[in-house]
Amino acid sequence: MKISRNWLAQYVTIDCDLDTLCDKLTMAGIEVEAVETSHRVPPGVVVAKIIERAPHTGSDHLSVCRVFDGKQELQIVCGAPNCDAGKTVPLATIGTVFHSPEGDFVIKKSKLRGVESFGMLCSGRELGLSSDHNGLLILDDALEAGTPLETLYPGDSCIEVEVTPNRPDWLSHWGVARDVACLLNAEARLPELSLPPTVPAPENLVTVEEPELCPRYIGRIIRGVKIGESPDWLKERLTSVGLRPINNVVDVTNFILMELGQPLHAFDLDLLAGGRVVVRRARDGESIVTLDGGRRELSPANLVIADAEKPMALAGVMGGEYSGVSDKTVNILLESAIFQPSSIRATSRALEIASDSSYRYERGVDYDMADYASDRAAQLIMEVAGGKAVTVKVDVTPGRPEPRKIPCRFERIRKLIGVAVPDETMVDIFRRLRLEVSDWADGRCVVTAPLFRLDLEREADLAEEVARINGLGAIPIHPVVGKLVSSISDDAYWKYQQLRDELIGYGLYECMHYSMVSGKSALSDTRFTVNDLVVLKNPLSSELAYMRPSLLGEMLGTIERNVSRRNLNLQLFELGRVFCANPELYPEERHECCIVLTGQKQPERYSTELELKYDFYDLKGLLESWLERRGIVHYCFAPVEDARFEPGTAAAVLVNNRVIGHLGQLPTALTRSWRTQNAVFAALLDVDQLLAVKPRSIYYRALSQFPAVSRDVAFVADVGLEHATVTEFIRRAGLKHLESIELFDIFTDDKVLGPGRKSMAYKLTFRHAERTLTDAEVNAAFDKLRARLERELKVELR
Amino acid sequence: MMNAIIEKINAALADAERRLAAAATPAEVEQLRIELIGRNGLFPALSKEMGSVPAEERRETGAAFNAGRTRIQEWLEAAVQRLAATPAESMAKMDLTLPGRRWRTGHKHPISIVIDECVAIFRRMGFIVADGPEIESVYHNFDALNTPPDHPSRDPQDTFYFADGRILRSQTSPVQIRVMESQEPPVRIVAPGRVYRRDTPDATHGMNFHQIEGLYIDRDVSMSDLKSVLQSFAVEMFGPKAKIRLRPHFFPFTEPSVEYDFSCIMCEGKGCPVCKNSGYIEIAGAGMVDPNVLRNVGYDPEVWSGFAFGMGIERLAMLRYRIGDLRYLYENDVRFLGQF
Repeated sequence: MKISRNWLAQYVTIDCDLDTLCDKLTMAGIEVEAVETSHRVPPGVVVAKIIERAPHTGSDHLSVCRVFDGKQELQIVCGAPNCDAGKTVPLATIGTVFHSPEGDFVIKKSKLRGVESFGMLCSGRELGLSSDHNGLLILDDALEAGTPLETLYPGDSCIEVEVTPNRPDWLSHWGVARDVACLLNAEARLPELSLPPTVPAPENLVTVEEPELCPRYIGRIIRGVKIGESPDWLKERLTSVGLRPINNVVDVTNFILMELGQPLHAFDLDLLAGGRVVVRRARDGESIVTLDGGRRELSPANLVIADAEKPMALAGVMGGEYSGVSDKTVNILLESAIFQPSSIRATSRALEIASDSSYRYERGVDYDMADYASDRAAQLIMEVAGGKAVTVKVDVTPGRPEPRKIPCRFERIRKLIGVAVPDETMVDIFRRLRLEVSDWADGRCVVTAPLFRLDLEREADLAEEVARINGLGAIPIHPVVGKLVSSISDDAYWKYQQLRDELIGYGLYECMHYSMVSGKSALSDTRFTVNDLVVLKNPLSSELAYMRPSLLGEMLGTIERNVSRRNLNLQLFELGRVFCANPELYPEERHECCIVLTGQKQPERYSTELELKYDFYDLKGLLESWLERRGIVHYCFAPVEDARFEPGTAAAVLVNNRVIGHLGQLPTALTRSWRTQNAVFAALLDVDQLLAVKPRSIYYRALSQFPAVSRDVAFVADVGLEHATVTEFIRRAGLKHLESIELFDIFTDDKVLGPGRKSMAYKLTFRHAERTLTDAEVNAAFDKLRARLERELKVELR
Repeated sequence: MMNAIIEKINAALADAERRLAAAATPAEVEQLRIELIGRNGLFPALSKEMGSVPAEERRETGAAFNAGRTRIQEWLEAAVQRLAATPAESMAKMDLTLPGRRWRTGHKHPISIVIDECVAIFRRMGFIVADGPEIESVYHNFDALNTPPDHPSRDPQDTFYFADGRILRSQTSPVQIRVMESQEPPVRIVAPGRVYRRDTPDATHGMNFHQIEGLYIDRDVSMSDLKSVLQSFAVEMFGPKAKIRLRPHFFPFTEPSVEYDFSCIMCEGKGCPVCKNSGYIEIAGAGMVDPNVLRNVGYDPEVWSGFAFGMGIERLAMLRYRIGDLRYLYENDVRFLGQF
């Protein structure tokens, strides 16, 4: 909503500067979004007196004038016929800049047909003050030479404000003026009416068939108007708020809309069949061509203003092209009406047309203003379009709505806003806001809201008025008292926060992706079919129609994007919500964790460390470390067939014999297509299941004070011999005081070991809790084990 | 009185002092240690001779012995330290400009950083985190929050719908309703989370973004409490100079409603391009919970009052890190992620 400062000042005295005004508006809830100040005349134009006029020797239409600008006499060459000595005229001094669409024009010292000129005397059109270009603009002789013309024709500021949907009463200059008056402790006044004597109106001029949808319709006729251009003052008002002048009658209706917030419509009376209007629902099959030129098919959901035959306007939204005011119009029917907001909103949405009228009607228009607006518009039309006669108002209404009476307890308001505002101050605020205060006693009163304040219904609404006008800055700040009303164990975020911090601790980078994905992305996790996906009814685009069922799809996109930017070394994770429509598969919303490793492990180091690349065991090891750190001991990995991974590289992660996730190498066919030679490893874990595992309790174990003894055993075995078989065998062997078994080397080498063979080497550590072990007892046990390994596991000891 | 043992001790001390002063390598010091206090050195030998010292001299000799040995030990120690402090040959060859072998650390996403910080600040003020579903009912997202039936935010232009009539929550506020439905007041929660609006992604919009919502319901909660909590938050988040400003506004679920601004973190309120010379940066909305909302969850507005506030996490993150385009936050380029 655009507000012109000068226009606003018609209704209330603004005795503060623009910045202060804007600040006050913003702090009262009328948020100023932008301010544009325009000069009416360029700075540099001053009042000047023509002292002498002489003809130009080289031209028959130019004159050479001597002009006083308040400081000095200047010679000016002028082409105007009226540059007579003794006249007071505007002078654009040297350096003045005229802005025009064709570019800037700067007044310079110049020579016209050989005679020097030190400035330019101006016409009304040159200054943009009028359309007159027949001669110089003649100013009042009483003006002092040198006076900047700006002070005579002050500029204006267009203040763009954001009006919240609860305050449609601010959608006009008068409405804003009312609040400005309250803020500045001034008085706001509407212009006095001076309507010529009225004549009777024809019977049946207005019929309202739907009083529910049209609680008030004021119609009146103005006869004998002459359609033409509006006077300058009217055009100026409209352009100051960004409206385009059209003709005098339409301009008046638009002016009233911006002045009072009351939408008006003017029909060409002679084009209305029967010379009357009917407010009714449209009939099926009816249509109308609206002023914007579009044909609209109507239904009974749309309220229309019809003549005796057909719809002539979409009520409160837009007039019809046929019956609108045109150059030929002589008699008009002027409508000032109130329509039900939801009906207007529905029509505006259904037919996809919005207008300044529908914008206001949707939010609510003041019942009481319709009356004054009709009179004021009639008066202005008579003034600017020369009407011959104006009829009385035909006011069709079931009656004025009852204003709301709101009980108000001052102490409750003080408690709610936290400021000790005295009762008297509150009453004063209400009254300054034009709210009626009655029954003021015992800390209570009754506030009656005027009909333009549709937002005031309850005590809390009055509290807002007090807080707003008393100033939100007056609300005191105190140290926060942190009242603990719940246990941290109820905190819904803590556990996810911990998981994330742990993964970041392992060196992973956290990612975040959008929750809405394409079908391709969603189904790249082959656990899901299209029937398992949660589908949006109104997606942003058909490409983004699904809620992600898995974090995998978008993570693949991120890997590809990074690889294409040659970020080849990635260690990523995401922890987020995923969605599933198939309750047999997963709950509708759950948390998942996706981890990805690829490329060099230590790209920022050097020498041999650069050669280390992530492999399957890095990802497995990460999961093992993480699970153990979380106090989970009963976990294992089992080979699975899983189409998301390269065949033979996929494993399920089981905790307490339940699958909580999978890991593996992404298909090389996929990763190769991303232009990376590095294998990519990924894991997907069901976070809610992971969090449901009860961690083991930690109890301190006594440390042995005695030294450990270790022995290494190395052997060559079939590649099929699993590590777990070896450790299990050693454990079962029951070696006394065996503390730990650690794999410290494993390799294959066809040349040295022969094909299908591998070398494994283990370190066995022995320790006794209460004494130092002797070499002899360790050796005896160790030798026995070596013999059994050779005999029973069929390995070749090295 | 000076006997033979004391003389030997004094001679040994003089000799040791001279040799230690001249010692250039740890080996020389070690040699002296072996000679004097090693297992077969001078002092153990003298210790054996102590038995032959006449009784009247024993006290004095013993004292000289102990003092001598202590001093030798101190000198040896000092000499070892002195030599260790001298750059060894290998040190001289060290290239301190070579890069160290870096220890990798992970990186938290800036959105998570900001959420974690907000949560930490509010937890300290006694709030705990509550959560709710992202696929939400129209009732919880709109109706219960006093949103009029034809409010534009319900429009399918702005909100994502599912075939069954449910929606993707357009705000974290439905969590307020869920919490109040499930517990008696007082309530003191914050709800960070993902919300959805039908905006085409651009520099300042995304299909989804994150908010954090706060709600406090108790007896006699006032706007002063709200303002104090927001002011404390501003200071914790943006430093001791941060200030807040409330402006009247309108939301269906609060009355009175306000928008709140923080003093500009770039110019501290002096005016700069970030705050468009206003000195303030618009953060989000807040207000006193509307009596209708309290009634909807079965709280008596005559007994209970409270405030709610919300803010956009992406906006805070972009301000904090001066990120110019929201889309970077969802692009996951590791060169971006690695900066946080």
